[in-house]
Amino acid sequence: MTATTLTFVTGKGGTGKSAITAATAIDLARSGRTVLSIDMGGSPGLETHLRHPGLSYRPVETRPGLWAMTMDRATALDEYLKLQLRVPQGAPTRQIAGALSVLADTAPGVREIISIGKPIYETWRGVWDAVVVDAPPLGQFQSYLRAPATIRDLVPTGNVRRQADDLAATLADADVTDVVIVTTPAELPVRETLEALAILDRESLAPPPRVVVNRSLEPSGLDASSVQRLPAGGAARAAAEMQVAMEADEAEWRSAVDHDVELPFLRGVLTPHEVAAQLADAMRPPS
Amino acid sequence: MTGTVIVTGAGGVGKTTLSAAIAVEFAASGHRTLVLTIDPAKRLADALGLARLGDEPTPTPTVPNLSGAMLDVSASWEAIIRRYADPDVGDRLLVNPYFRAIADRFPAAQAYAAGERMAEYIESGAWDVIVIDTPPSGGGIDFFRAPATTGDLVSGKLLKWLTGSHLPGRSLLYRFTAKPMLRIADTVLGGPMLSDVADFLLDLRTMYDALTTRSKTIERHLRASRTVIVTTADPTPLHETHRFFRELTHVDIDPVAIVFNRALPADWSDAAARPLRGVDDPELRALAKANLRAWGAEARRQGDAMIELSARYGVPLITVPWTSPPPDSADDLRELVHDRGLVERLA
Repeated sequence: MTATTLTFVTGKGGTGKSAITAATAIDLARSGRTVLSIDMGGSPGLETHLRHPGLSYRPVETRPGLWAMTMDRATALDEYLKLQLRVPQGAPTRQIAGALSVLADTAPGVREIISIGKPIYETWRGVWDAVVVDAPPLGQFQSYLRAPATIRDLVPTGNVRRQADDLAATLADADVTDVVIVTTPAELPVRETLEALAILDRESLAPPPRVVVNRSLEPSGLDASSVQRLPAGGAARAAAEMQVAMEADEAEWRSAVDHDVELPFLRGVLTPHEVAAQLADAMRPPS
Repeated sequence: MTGTVIVTGAGGVGKTTLSAAIAVEFAASGHRTLVLTIDPAKRLADALGLARLGDEPTPTPTVPNLSGAMLDVSASWEAIIRRYADPDVGDRLLVNPYFRAIADRFPAAQAYAAGERMAEYIESGAWDVIVIDTPPSGGGIDFFRAPATTGDLVSGKLLKWLTGSHLPGRSLLYRFTAKPMLRIADTVLGGPMLSDVADFLLDLRTMYDALTTRSKTIERHLRASRTVIVTTADPTPLHETHRFFRELTHVDIDPVAIVFNRALPADWSDAAARPLRGVDDPELRALAKANLRAWGAEARRQGDAMIELSARYGVPLITVPWTSPPPDSADDLRELVHDRGLVERLA
């Protein structure tokens, strides 16, 4: 078995990062990989896209090869103490857990390191081919990536420090870690994406991210002059005018950001699960 | 008497644009209006004729009676500390690394700072209408809960744990209860984190009474304001809308309207089924039909969502049309909300 890959999917709120997380996980599972998808944010996004309401901290198999779980900070904290910090037998575990949970509410980096530690720990276990994470939105996500460094500034020695060093090493390892930024072809998401790319590049917190432009209108074949030949005042004309205007606007924002993948804007009555399945189709077009 | 309008909704639904549009419409009818926004698109600032929105209200050159201000969260926190803490405690807090972390990250902090600014502007009496674009964290619901949550943060729940319950003075408190425990934890965890945190919380606590009193005032202002929820037909905004209705009732706030943004004309739903007359070119006819089918499917999806929303909540559902490109002038903004019965409900 090759090493487990770890993919963080982030992006501005409303761009479809949960859908892309689900689609990525479905795509990997379809190709025979054993995948763990993790919702880090506690939003209902991932579970609705996977059509599996009520996800918990314990991974469940939502379809063959595709496991899913959601983050629960209290349990993650407990696990962090036992498995990661290796708090010795006989130590006042309850007090230390209490201390950490106070820290998690107050000190920079602690809450983040407990949350981001979980997917990394799952990657280390070697039981999954891929771990795909529905990560916090851009803005928050950077502070999760920074958490190990923040901890290192605060804590000179000890188990927390050692643990933070290991996490930072995995996050920076391009053979393991992959960051996907989801955007839509519109001003604010693209601007946030560019800002995030600059920050990640400057701080070298993780390998260079891949950018996915989601919700891209598929070209209609209509243009400004053909639109003029449609009867004025009718729905066909109005819909064509809007399509042409949107295609032009979207093209401007798509060209503003280097990206690896474009995924379609799925119009019509679709359930979140259909959206994820169709996006997974679009990721691997039939050859 | 200042009227306050609060615009909430999930990220990406167009809250900022609609806040600006509502503000432009109020200003155009002669009200002294302030729009308080979080992170405006450059295009939006341009539309209002502002190079950049600052932390202080700035009159817009393009729209008479309208001023805009952007919420700078760290600046707002600094102002709060300066107002409520003793000067030397304030100095200590502002350079404390934990304070910076809380100000930047604690989700309710941004929301609390927004509420604090709102209260200041209401009390200044300088405005007839204040339109507030809520912070994105927690879909904006934090904005309504922040006064209470911030109270919890400094109320000593954490402190109680760290320091024991009822001890008179700081030094005593350390000596008898907290210190040995902190030392054990620090040894295992590494570093003096816990003692630092305890110091920080003790400083923060000195602001407790002032902050709780203030929180109650902010809550009163929030209850007196008019709230609209912005949504689209996408699952996340719809889910957030449901959550808003559920949670806003707990804080005694009844939204006055749902704004359904980026609505398509209802007649697109079945337009592709009707014959397309007056187009001779078969290729163009096919392209136009295919385009209409795709948008028709989207219009039907929107129609379903609208029916569900109207049936469920019994508040007016106001549709704002999908425009492309997005509005880039004050007139475009005004056009979005003009004559749709929205501003009338907010007055």
